[in-house]
Amino acid sequence: MNPSKVSKKRKAVTRDVEEDAGVFSGEELTAEGLDLSDNANDLSSDEDSDSEVELVDEFSDEEEDDEEELDSDEIPSDGEDLKKAPELDMPTMDKEETSDEEEELNYRIEKDANGNDRFIYDEINPDDNSDLSDVDEEANTIGNIPLSFYDQYPHIGYDINGKKIMRPAKGEALDSLLDSIEVPKGWTGLTDPDTGKPLELSQDELELLRRVQMNEITADGYDQYEPLLEWFTNKKEVMPLSAAPEPKRRFVPSKHEAKRVMKIAKAIKQGRILPYKPPAEREEVDENVMSYDIWADEAERPDHIMNVPAPKLPPPGYEESYHPPPEYLPDNKERKAWEEADPEDREQEYLPQDFGSLRKVPGFENFVKEKFERCLDLYLAPRVRRSKLNIDPESLLPKLPSPEELKPFPTACATLFRGHKGRVRSLAVDPSGVWLATGGDDGTARVWELLTGRQLWSVKLSEDEAVNVVRWRPTKDAVVLAIATGDDVYLAVPPIVDPEVEKASLELLDAGWGFAATRPAPNAAEANKKNNPPTWIRPSPALADAGVCAVIPLRYMVKSISWHRRGDYFVTVCPGSSTPASVAIAIHTLSKHLTQYPFRRRLKGGGPPQTAHFHPSKPILFVANQRTIRAYDLSRQLLVKIIQPGARWISSFDIHPTSSTAAGGDNLIVGSYDRRLLWHDLELSQRPYKTLRYHRKAIRSVRFHPGGRYPLFADASDDGSLQIFHGSVTGDMLSNASIVPLKVLKGHKVTGELGVLDLDWHPKEPWCVSAGADGTCRLWM
Amino acid sequence: MNGDHEMSGDASQAAQRQVRVQLTSKQEDVALPENTGPILVPTGLRRYALSTLVNNLLGSEKPIPFEFLVNGAFLRTSIDEYLTANGISAETTLEIEYVRALIPPLHIASFEHDDWVSSVDVLSATSPAASKASATVSPGQERILSGSYDGLLRVWNMSSQVVATSPAPADGGHTASIKAAKFISPNAIASTGLDRTVRVWKYAEHADGFSGTITPQLELYGHKSAVNSLAVHAPSNRMLTGSADHSVGFWSTKKGDAPAAPENLLPSVASRSAKRRKVGSSVSAPQRGPLSLMSAHTAPVSAAIFDATDATVGYSTSWDHSLRTWDLVTGSLVDTRSTAHALLSLEHLPEHHLLAAGTSARHITLIDPRASATTIAAMTLRGHTNAVVSLARDPQSAYGLISGSHDGTCRIWDIRATKTDKDGVVGESVYSIGRKSQEEAGRGEAKRVGGEGVKVFGVCWDAAVGIVSAGEDKRIQINRGEGVLSSV
Repeated sequence: MNPSKVSKKRKAVTRDVEEDAGVFSGEELTAEGLDLSDNANDLSSDEDSDSEVELVDEFSDEEEDDEEELDSDEIPSDGEDLKKAPELDMPTMDKEETSDEEEELNYRIEKDANGNDRFIYDEINPDDNSDLSDVDEEANTIGNIPLSFYDQYPHIGYDINGKKIMRPAKGEALDSLLDSIEVPKGWTGLTDPDTGKPLELSQDELELLRRVQMNEITADGYDQYEPLLEWFTNKKEVMPLSAAPEPKRRFVPSKHEAKRVMKIAKAIKQGRILPYKPPAEREEVDENVMSYDIWADEAERPDHIMNVPAPKLPPPGYEESYHPPPEYLPDNKERKAWEEADPEDREQEYLPQDFGSLRKVPGFENFVKEKFERCLDLYLAPRVRRSKLNIDPESLLPKLPSPEELKPFPTACATLFRGHKGRVRSLAVDPSGVWLATGGDDGTARVWELLTGRQLWSVKLSEDEAVNVVRWRPTKDAVVLAIATGDDVYLAVPPIVDPEVEKASLELLDAGWGFAATRPAPNAAEANKKNNPPTWIRPSPALADAGVCAVIPLRYMVKSISWHRRGDYFVTVCPGSSTPASVAIAIHTLSKHLTQYPFRRRLKGGGPPQTAHFHPSKPILFVANQRTIRAYDLSRQLLVKIIQPGARWISSFDIHPTSSTAAGGDNLIVGSYDRRLLWHDLELSQRPYKTLRYHRKAIRSVRFHPGGRYPLFADASDDGSLQIFHGSVTGDMLSNASIVPLKVLKGHKVTGELGVLDLDWHPKEPWCVSAGADGTCRLWM
Repeated sequence: MNGDHEMSGDASQAAQRQVRVQLTSKQEDVALPENTGPILVPTGLRRYALSTLVNNLLGSEKPIPFEFLVNGAFLRTSIDEYLTANGISAETTLEIEYVRALIPPLHIASFEHDDWVSSVDVLSATSPAASKASATVSPGQERILSGSYDGLLRVWNMSSQVVATSPAPADGGHTASIKAAKFISPNAIASTGLDRTVRVWKYAEHADGFSGTITPQLELYGHKSAVNSLAVHAPSNRMLTGSADHSVGFWSTKKGDAPAAPENLLPSVASRSAKRRKVGSSVSAPQRGPLSLMSAHTAPVSAAIFDATDATVGYSTSWDHSLRTWDLVTGSLVDTRSTAHALLSLEHLPEHHLLAAGTSARHITLIDPRASATTIAAMTLRGHTNAVVSLARDPQSAYGLISGSHDGTCRIWDIRATKTDKDGVVGESVYSIGRKSQEEAGRGEAKRVGGEGVKVFGVCWDAAVGIVSAGEDKRIQINRGEGVLSSV
């Protein structure tokens, strides 16, 4: 194709530049045959070819066929030669080129001086692909013609822009002479045809020439005469490593190998061995080889030489556009070829498709609707922040103050009271807080100095019966100790007080004799009745000497004594199961030496009564039987309240000393043999407000700190320990009592399954005393 | 690596760092010969090394252990640590005062009684009782007075012999346990106890010095409950008692000064007493009443003392947590200081204007009774494990204190050996003296729950005799160390 194009150009030139026709005519000849074929090609394929051009072609064909063929391969160097080229190129273009492109002419026709048409072409803008970009602007463009043609002109040719290249000035004759005398290195005496300057050879070129002349290899750095490195020596060693003659096997073919070869050949014949087994295609990835995707979680990172960023995907090309340029669109053949090809063999997975506009893209049909629905979803979506519950389990625990802040409370054993033989059953601190009274299994009641543990007084009340309860009369004007031993209650004035108080105490106890004497004696019928109240009697002289002033024979085992706060009444309970219900609870009046049985019938439910206490400020008597506590209003003779702690067997209970006045409601603590300590807020519920189950064995005794000065309470258990609690009741009805376990006091030894049998508080100090089954009492402070 | 190098460099530097110290002493016998200038010592030195240094400087043949005071506090660490803790530059000259160290008091003797010994007092040349007396007590003739729970007073000589015993109840003695007993003078004794009386006795010694008599001189009635403490001011013949009936009694030891006894408190009044107690004693002492009974306390009064410098001022502590100051001339309450715990004992430290009070909460509180004092508790001395029921001054040091506690120990305190923590200034005991009886029983180290059987009820510290303590183990125990006392 190329030679024909060239030939056509030449024809055009011959016709346009008539004066040069003779010069250029020779080339046409060689192109003749090609030309014909080209023409034939043109005619067959291109119906739209220009008729004028056709004529020109024929004309040139006919006219110039005897021209020299020298320049047939020459690229036209003259600007005018190029004038016709685009026009002539047209027929040779690809069939895909559409006709509309032909109409875009990149030249205009003007009249030249002779009145002929002159084609003025636009400035050729060489793009980056053009190899003309690096053409030397100064290079001579006259082509391969003798420079002597220009001898008569002042210039020697034209540069690429058509500017004349002027002949460089020649030196004077003297200069030439001088030059010829001092020949510089590389002087050739030739003139560079391109520049017209004297041609001088560089050092490298001279070296190259020298090598050529010397028949050397012209490659740089090749040393023909390298010293020989003897890899394999030709010298013979004098002494070989082995003098043994060569073994025979070196020369005889191996029978073993022959055997093996025969075996293999046989196997191949039988088809047991396939000599050229095609290698199994290993498609599946080797499991053992780990492949890493180093860009699996590619994150933006600062530019650093050690960071190899993931390669960027190429941007989508034209063919992926919804409206690609027509040249990217496949024609029918390509489309067919694409469809017929296996999906694996296809170059692309898609065919470029042309939709005139975006709205004609098939997916666009539902686009607006979908967009609307998405917006609607967003609009109608419920904007509720769902917060997950993240709760620290610690925060659910109630905020208990630390025991450090709740000081003072008893923490250590300060004094041991040792002296009782056998268990100490009961103990009490006197209202002044100086003495401690105890009673135990040895039938003695003793009074001790609280701080030092010095025994001050002791009385033996019974040989075989234990002292079950000792309780001080709660007021300070007289000192009276009530002692329950067996069936009897003794009232004693220990001889430890000063004469004045002693006198007052004795007078208090003696005053009742008169009342008792003036009371009408019960008639015989009544006297025989079982539940006849007993009369108080004077003690035996021995006991009277020891300090006992009065004895109340109750006929049944007394297990509980509780004084009224004014000190005139005390209530005794005989919890024995054989005790008739009507005489189990007795209220004694000190000033009248009078004993009354307030309850005629058995309490319904809950078994026999266990213990009873007067309310610290109100005329209410609390009576506990095994399962319930009942509150009776003594002035109105009414049952006020029934409290059901839920314990199986109540051992003891205590009433908060101040809560009924401060908070308006009573607070009770109940200890039970089934190991529970229960706090009752009577205003709140019949049921316990709090159940504390910290002991391993039965709780024997519970006690609030009296007087309300310290918000403490304690319980004593058969496991040999006492537990001290902080239990403060606020005046605010809305806030519950706060209960904080403070201290476990250990020290009592468990003797015969029994630990601590009774406890009491010092009336003013945060000190606590406990009576143990191990025969000791302890002061804790 | 570099850091290690630096650290080791620091350590070696610290070990070799030196500080200029000026050693002084107020004890003339151990003062440095001439006015020695500041000495450069390594900061790594501790008490022992400093003590060796001072002994070298003194050239003493037998090394004397010294304690070192920097800015009024004992040096318990190395100098370097002290400087660091107090932020003192090592460039400064450190003023260090040295005093004789306390030597662990050694057990000298134990005098055995029939019953618990509640109270003890010493008559010696340096004891307060002898200060006024015309007849001074010659060395070796010291007497120890003990009051016991069996109701008897005993006077002992130093060879553990009973010189004299007070008469039995039938002969005019105490009808119940004695809780406090004191020498008024070399020939007068005061005692009180659970029988609510204060008794003044005449003590006479035979010429041989091995026997004597205690004869009742005066019975003072007024308290309605057990009397817990007794303080005597011999120059003015006055006594102070603290009783469980919440009152403080002010008494005269002279029959002539005392008013008549209140009739209702006399034992013959009680109807039962006539029967039970044989009052018909052969020796009938005059019965008198108190000069005044000061009642402001709301709980049993545990201790009452005179001001050490001014006998017209008295202090009392009570279970009601308060310390009260009394003007004894008018019998009026001057000041009340409330603490957090029941106070069980009291001692006055006149040089520091402090009152030491032993509490039921197992410590000793130092209270400034002056009205200008801003804080109630100036210092807390911790270490006892049970109630502190007895206190005595160091006879030779203004800083020394001894306490007897129900935990069976006596502890010696120096109020300079303190440190400051979250509870304020806290002191620790210098020495702890256990009961010899406990050691003899082979349970020296085992701590007894509640001080059972070894409780200390009374303690007395005398310059000549030493530390005398009485307790539940029915003994008087005497402890003394050679040069125990640092008399600054």
